[in-house]
Amino acid sequence: MKRLSYFFPILIVTLMLQNICLSADNVVWVSSTNASLKADQSASSQTIADLSVGDELAVISIDKKWYKVKTKSGKEGFIYRGKISDTKPETMASQGKSGGGAGGLLGDLTGSGITANSADSSRSIRGLSPEAQEYAQQTGKPQEFRDALDSVLELKTDDKEIEQFLVDGKIGEYAE
Amino acid sequence: MKKHQELKKTDKPATRRHFIKYLGTLGLLAASPAFAKNLFNMLDPEGKNKDLQKAKNLLGGAGDLLASQKDIDYESEFAIGESLALEGFQRYGLPVKDKELQKYMSLIGRSVARNSSRPDIPYYFVAVNSPLYNAFACPGGIIFISSTLIKSMKNEAELACVIAHEISHVTHKHALNTIKRAKMFEGMGKISQATMKGKDSKKFQNVIGGLQDVLFEKGLDKNMEFEADLSGLDLAYKAGYNPKEFVRVLNMLKENEKNAEKKGSWYSTHPPLPERIKKCQDKLKSFPDAGTLAVLEGRFSKYQKRL
Repeated sequence: MKRLSYFFPILIVTLMLQNICLSADNVVWVSSTNASLKADQSASSQTIADLSVGDELAVISIDKKWYKVKTKSGKEGFIYRGKISDTKPETMASQGKSGGGAGGLLGDLTGSGITANSADSSRSIRGLSPEAQEYAQQTGKPQEFRDALDSVLELKTDDKEIEQFLVDGKIGEYAE
Repeated sequence: MKKHQELKKTDKPATRRHFIKYLGTLGLLAASPAFAKNLFNMLDPEGKNKDLQKAKNLLGGAGDLLASQKDIDYESEFAIGESLALEGFQRYGLPVKDKELQKYMSLIGRSVARNSSRPDIPYYFVAVNSPLYNAFACPGGIIFISSTLIKSMKNEAELACVIAHEISHVTHKHALNTIKRAKMFEGMGKISQATMKGKDSKKFQNVIGGLQDVLFEKGLDKNMEFEADLSGLDLAYKAGYNPKEFVRVLNMLKENEKNAEKKGSWYSTHPPLPERIKKCQDKLKSFPDAGTLAVLEGRFSKYQKRL
């Protein structure tokens, strides 16, 4: 009887470990922004679903540069190999509101962070962050360096421009 | 009386046991702050229970302490990067005054960065007028490439590979880990935007000074550079550029080493080129179809001529 009481916990732990090993082999994560599930092994094929960074995908098969996968909601399709990873990527969402690293460790309790996107858009209105402005003032940085940094932070490229750039260069999933 | 004494005797260990038990629970809650917050809100939605509020504050304090020791939030990381970028312009030169070229740099950089392990932070890329062979990454994602380095390249894949190397420094938080390892933040308490201003601003300036010394003079730990080399190859490959072109850049640098100015360049801030080339060549064996990926000489040459 006493032996039996050990048997079941060991069995459960073994099954759990087996399950983890099995799923780890067949699961990948979306690791690229602007990723989508395609109907065929071609970027120009129909888009079945838009995918978000960190989405979990079950791998059905691999054919050269394309993975046939299934989403958690059961949709099947193809994704380019460059847009997935076998480890979960670090995202702002996965790190709490403050994003980027364990600074968001207690973000919900103590943080007053903003997301990268909101940081990005607000920056385009107000230029340098207040911290960098104070640093520039206190270290006497000439205006031309502040203007230089402003010009870098102001330069925008949207997803459409990046896609077109990749199409024109036949890069990644757009390669022939 | 005897029983009472026995009870008293056991009082201390019992208290200790309880303390350890609660410490363990608090530790578990601290490890999962979102869960802790929800639990506190569920138990005491109106915040009337003083004990729970105390525990909540205690956890908040523990979070600050852990945050100061463990990592830096993104906004603070970026503010460090901005301050360092101001120094970068002073040290290496101003941006090349050509919007088309800068846009091209951004398009390559962001095409690569969005496949990195930190895909959703904003990255910025700038070509600066400088006679040195150089490229460096500021924390948070502002990446500099010197005009001389771009001029000496042959195609877009070479530039994409160098950019991928720099993005890898950002994704691995190499600069931040270096300043933490060197305890440059000691005495600043929690590392946050608040401690970069006001009474602590002098200490913050010292941190940026220390970081300049590392990135512009001594260089990062050589293992960090090797890590960025290999991660950069992976990243370029994922994005669809031929990673072999990175080795071409390293060979070009090796060929030009004799006559190049070393101080403040990739020569003085990076490990010896033969060692890097060897490690990269070993890694390239894991990309059997690398030769089929994008190289793009024509498009690159069009923009390179603008320099």
